[in-house]
Amino acid sequence: MAEDDSEWVLESIVGFLGSPEWVIPVTDFMENKCTVFDDEEENKLSYTEIHQQYKNLVEKLLENYMQEVGINEQQFLYACTSPFAKSKTLQIVFQPVLATDDFQMFRSLMVQKNMELQLQALRVMKERNGELPECLTHGADVMTELQQQEMKILHQVLQKSKEEYEEEMSFRMLLDEENGSTSSSSSDKPFREKQASTSSQQDSTAKELPESEQDQLQQRATYLRQQRDRLHALKKEQQKSSYNSPPEEAPSSPTEISAEEKKRLQKRKHLAEKLKEEVIKK
Amino acid sequence: MGEAQKGLLSVVEKLKGTTEQEVRIVLLGLDNAGKTTLLKSLASEDVNTITPTQGFNIKSVASHGMKLNVWDIGGQRKIRAFWKKYLENTDLLIYVIDSADKKRFEETGLELSELIDEENLKGVPVLIFANKQDLATASPASEIAEGLNLHTYRDREWQIQACSAVSGEGVQDGMNWICNNIANRKKK
Repeated sequence: MAEDDSEWVLESIVGFLGSPEWVIPVTDFMENKCTVFDDEEENKLSYTEIHQQYKNLVEKLLENYMQEVGINEQQFLYACTSPFAKSKTLQIVFQPVLATDDFQMFRSLMVQKNMELQLQALRVMKERNGELPECLTHGADVMTELQQQEMKILHQVLQKSKEEYEEEMSFRMLLDEENGSTSSSSSDKPFREKQASTSSQQDSTAKELPESEQDQLQQRATYLRQQRDRLHALKKEQQKSSYNSPPEEAPSSPTEISAEEKKRLQKRKHLAEKLKEEVIKK
Repeated sequence: MGEAQKGLLSVVEKLKGTTEQEVRIVLLGLDNAGKTTLLKSLASEDVNTITPTQGFNIKSVASHGMKLNVWDIGGQRKIRAFWKKYLENTDLLIYVIDSADKKRFEETGLELSELIDEENLKGVPVLIFANKQDLATASPASEIAEGLNLHTYRDREWQIQACSAVSGEGVQDGMNWICNNIANRKKK
């Protein structure tokens, strides 16, 4: 009896596997849980736990459906082992079901889902910002970029102080030349008086220049800070979208998180590249 | 295989289109016993870049017309609590011992006897690899067998095999025992 039914049973099951009642919970599950699945050779212990949850979910969904429609397990088995079910297209449809029994298959589905989400995140970032942040396109990542910016500021500060120092030195030399004839051991007091009296005009410009420079510097610093904040926000957003349940919360120290972040970014980049390659190949 | 699994998922298990016989093997033992090295050696992979396993590794090896799915689970003390989760539907247990680590013979013996008592491993044949025989300080397999009281195992097939996962010596002999054993069981 079961064999006669196999055709409509199979059709019905395939229909179910394409319906929102199946697709939504399964996709939700995968998108929520895929973030810990990377392409490292070694499996994490948490994969097993997630696989178990997946088995429970699929079992519940299928059982509910079969009960609803009135298919028993025997019919299900007949239908799914019939020649129809062995076609390539149907095998793909059945993949999420078979993944309950095949950890390796489950794992590859999850890794693939994770990559998809990451690529999606990259695309969204690109759309929003016109281009990807430096860290996701070339070798450098956010931290080194920040360091570079800080180095720039430092350079400017150093340069400024050097300029000031040279100015003062040349000024002193000028004074020394002027005072050279009077006495070699000129005390500080006459020197200061001289400085104030002889070059009042020069002094005012000298004072103004560093001030305007300082203004510029300050502007630059705030701009850079804003830039940095934006980058941070971006990173957070990206993390949120692709890491729904980040395994590590609340960074214990800034240096630690930076190293971790670096590693993660590198990995992500690697993944994205790999996926791109695969997609292009196909 | 798989009789222990109940309900719909056991039906799903039968859906797999493979005609090849699949065998689930779990590879256990203390940390630093050489489980991952053995696994890689079985899969003919490079054994020089192995680090302590924090999770688990799986390799599928084709042998004697069977597909052996070997699960190597980390042996550090904190991971041993998870071993239980991997024992269901196991066809065979491989237990690896560092033959040169005499200080931990007792510990490894305790872990093994706990496994033997596991409900999921009831009657499951066990192959013990007395690994690291390439080291000068390694104890011979016969001595280890005695220390583990293997001769008292009456409820299952067992075998102890001296080997060196690094050089590969003895590994194939162990695999042959596994395949013969499983082939025999399936016939019955």
